[in-house]
Amino acid sequence: MIPIRCFTCGSIISSKWEEYSKRVAEHEDPGVVLDDLEVERYCCRRMLLSHIPLVDTFAPYQ
Amino acid sequence: MDIDIIELSDNKARFIINQIEPAIINGLRRSMLAEVPTMAIDYINIYGNTSVLFDEQIALRVGLIPFTTDLESYVLPEECDCNGEGCTKCQVSMTLSSKGPIIVYSGDILSSDPKILPADERIPIVELKKDEELVLEAFAKLGTGRKHPKWQAGIACGYKNLPEINILENCDSCGKCIGECPKGILIMENDILTVTDALNCNLCNLCTNACDIDAIIVQGKTNSFIFRMESDGSYTARNLLLEGANTIINNAKQLNEILTEIE
Repeated sequence: MIPIRCFTCGSIISSKWEEYSKRVAEHEDPGVVLDDLEVERYCCRRMLLSHIPLVDTFAPYQ
Repeated sequence: MDIDIIELSDNKARFIINQIEPAIINGLRRSMLAEVPTMAIDYINIYGNTSVLFDEQIALRVGLIPFTTDLESYVLPEECDCNGEGCTKCQVSMTLSSKGPIIVYSGDILSSDPKILPADERIPIVELKKDEELVLEAFAKLGTGRKHPKWQAGIACGYKNLPEINILENCDSCGKCIGECPKGILIMENDILTVTDALNCNLCNLCTNACDIDAIIVQGKTNSFIFRMESDGSYTARNLLLEGANTIINNAKQLNEILTEIE
């Protein structure tokens, strides 16, 4: 799951993940999407850019 | 002291303060980051959790959700009559119950007080697959950012001296400084060097170093500052600033009382 807040500044970034991942999956440029979502600082941008969701990987082994 | 507001929205503000001491504005910044009390979940009972996340991780994620804060109805547990044991004056009980397949959001948390609600309803807590469930009871309390970042209302609060860029008359419009400026605020207009947005200058002085004839001078104005702040949603940016100032006033009053007692 995407972390709730940015590790560095504490801004809420998790609520932006769904739109971000959906639009990036549709081959939009991640940088443009982040600008649209008003994620300005590079500490918050790396949170979304570098996130890999693992729920689906772990789910079969519950 | 006077304030010019450049930008003010619900959770973001940018303004210029003139004629103020750096110590006071730094106090304001620190107070917004560490001293303003906000609501966050601090105690949790997990009755059922078959999701992919451990109980501890669920507790951390639920704790980090910001809640709208009402300082008039609640007091800090340390200052409460119950000595922090937990009563209706210092805590709010909340429940969450979900069965998969579903994504559990912060908006699914049911609060017993309609004034204390998640500031953002779209924060995903956990994704539940088929037959997985999550049942919990939680208690939100007031706290300060000094104790844990989940109570930190101010985000990226900071200030810089108001930049002053002076282009002297002996400028020969060579344009060397334009390429050096990382913010791109210097442009050549009709062969005259002009500054587009002086507020954006980060006082790096790369332009002055590039100039061979010292025709450009960049300085930070001593007692004027550009202040930039964001709120996590527990307060509006305006209220957060007011609460920051109130906290300083209250602390000063307390100090005053202690000092008078000593005399």
